[in-house]
Amino acid sequence: MSNAMTNAASSQPKMKQHMGLKASRTIGNTMIYVLLTVISIIWLIPFVFIVLQSFRVESTHQVGYVIPQVWGLKNYTELFNSNFPRWYVNTFISALATCILQTIIVLCMSYTLSRFRFKMRKPLMKFMLILGLFPGMLSMIILYRVLKDLGLTQANAVPGLILVYVASSGMGYYVSKGFFDTIPKSLDEAARIDGANRAQVLYKIILPLSKPIVIYTLLTAFMGPWGDYVFARYISNNTAAGMNVAVGLYGWLSQDQIDKKYTMFCAGGVLVAVPVTVLFMCLQRYYVEGVTGGAVKG
Amino acid sequence: MASVKLTNIKKIYDNNVTAVHDFNLEIADKEFVVFVGPSGCGKSTTLRMIAGLEDISGGTLEIDGQVVNDLQPKDRDIAMVFQNYALYPHMTVYNNIAFSLRLKKVPEDEIFERVNNAAQILGITEYLNRKPRALSGGQRQRVAIGRAMVRNAKVFLMDEPLSNLDAKLRNQMRAEIILLRQKLDTTFIYVTHDQTEAMTLGDRIVIMKDGFIEQVGTPQEVFDTPVNLFVAGFIGSPQMNFLKARLVQEGEGYAVDVLDVRMPLNAEQNEVLARKNAKPQDIILGVRPEHMAVLFEQTENAIECTINVNEMMGSELHLHLTSAHDDKIIVRLPTVDLTNEQRHSLSFGNKLFITFPAKVMHLFDPETERSLIDG
Repeated sequence: MSNAMTNAASSQPKMKQHMGLKASRTIGNTMIYVLLTVISIIWLIPFVFIVLQSFRVESTHQVGYVIPQVWGLKNYTELFNSNFPRWYVNTFISALATCILQTIIVLCMSYTLSRFRFKMRKPLMKFMLILGLFPGMLSMIILYRVLKDLGLTQANAVPGLILVYVASSGMGYYVSKGFFDTIPKSLDEAARIDGANRAQVLYKIILPLSKPIVIYTLLTAFMGPWGDYVFARYISNNTAAGMNVAVGLYGWLSQDQIDKKYTMFCAGGVLVAVPVTVLFMCLQRYYVEGVTGGAVKG
Repeated sequence: MASVKLTNIKKIYDNNVTAVHDFNLEIADKEFVVFVGPSGCGKSTTLRMIAGLEDISGGTLEIDGQVVNDLQPKDRDIAMVFQNYALYPHMTVYNNIAFSLRLKKVPEDEIFERVNNAAQILGITEYLNRKPRALSGGQRQRVAIGRAMVRNAKVFLMDEPLSNLDAKLRNQMRAEIILLRQKLDTTFIYVTHDQTEAMTLGDRIVIMKDGFIEQVGTPQEVFDTPVNLFVAGFIGSPQMNFLKARLVQEGEGYAVDVLDVRMPLNAEQNEVLARKNAKPQDIILGVRPEHMAVLFEQTENAIECTINVNEMMGSELHLHLTSAHDDKIIVRLPTVDLTNEQRHSLSFGNKLFITFPAKVMHLFDPETERSLIDG
């Protein structure tokens, strides 16, 4: 009897402690979610604002309210009568070409630095690290001169831009080399003994195992040119045919154009965001996928 | 199916560390050779040079009479099993095994046949559609062996293939490798640090230390006639006992003074020593634990010892003894012939006596560490 009583007595504070733990965890979680919600609202305000403005058809200049009074697609249809399609195609071509070329270069570079041992390997990596510390803008003037001599500025800016974007891509090897380093070397060796050459090792063994990194490289390589302003502005040099969307759209915000083009600018902004958003949504799951399980002992 | 010939093979790394010195060995067609030695002895490096995964710094390597020093691994026609399996994690077991055949552009129906045949031999047919991560360690090792098997390569290399398995599975796989070897009937080179594996698997054993070959021979040879202290200590478990002793001349022949006892040598040993014109000198006497006889009473030429530890191994006892001069001695004593009374007397602090015949004595020069008889 007394035994049962002491049991009951001792279990009560334990239960209280347990409840306390649970309650404090709930409070903590709630606070985190509230904070995250507030942050995401702040983040989303500009996007929502732009989307709403792009459907406003009663006036084309900036107004003091957010919700349009008259809704319509006029801003979008007008875009197609402007230079916008040209800019869009320019941007898309340079982004796509850069994306493909840069990814190939980065992955080859990373594989080489991860797997081969050659004399200049370490000096090369140090050199690139130091070189990477200088802002790319420093090279702008000389790049312009070179591209101008090659005839790749103004209306021909797209190939010139691709050249500039891709030229330094070998230096962006850090992330993928780091990932390749985690793939056991014995997989390479097994494949080489199985009859694969180095290139086959790369695309039959290493790349399938590095999907998240390949996707990451593709995305970043696409995003750079897609949102670039400074180089694109400089090299297109006020020639509408050579502009990308960022440069072209920004032109609409100049003092003499803003009142006529402001809502079109918003519509253009929405269209620019579409492909990137779609890309991210499709490829997002690869970020989290771990693929190396079971490669070697475990 | 091919012979392998290594002539003056050297490995010097970029930082001037020499991993393998002047390695000379001829491996016959269909021979099973085991490289064994402690870690860092250069055995894996040598194997990787044969595979083509390491550059050869000097010497020539011939496979089937052809010098292959500068050939890529893929052109050497070798198969290799790695310690950590090295299975391709993104492929199914079937595709793992078929990988090399696909690279060689073998027709799919032949691949199907060969993969299934290998899977059947290894008992992994039911796992062919799984990914490696869904397999246990032993199953993964079978897949790795299967991947090497389907190649029908000239030489089969194995780099510590059993080291990652637990003790029970290791024994089982060891037996399976022996069976596999009979089925494949090809040249095997096997690297291990485990002398039991080396003894049970090899036709010949190559014992290495610090990049040098210490001895090459059949398991029986290296066990019976170790040429130096290192081989004597490395082969056999528990390790051979080493005692300080002195070689003396007695009448026509020689004898060994050890722990206050004089043990005469046999005719054969006397003849070798006489031929070498051996002088009396300090020596190290080696006697294997299983070659020592345990006596419960003092007799002539028996060494008195005190029991330190008594390890029960089931069929035998490992007795750790201390001599009057504080030498540590281990003896293996089969339990089957012991009376109950004798068993009880084998406890800490009790005395007993050991003796051994001349033919099991190994005599080593303490300076050169070479055997006086077999070296």
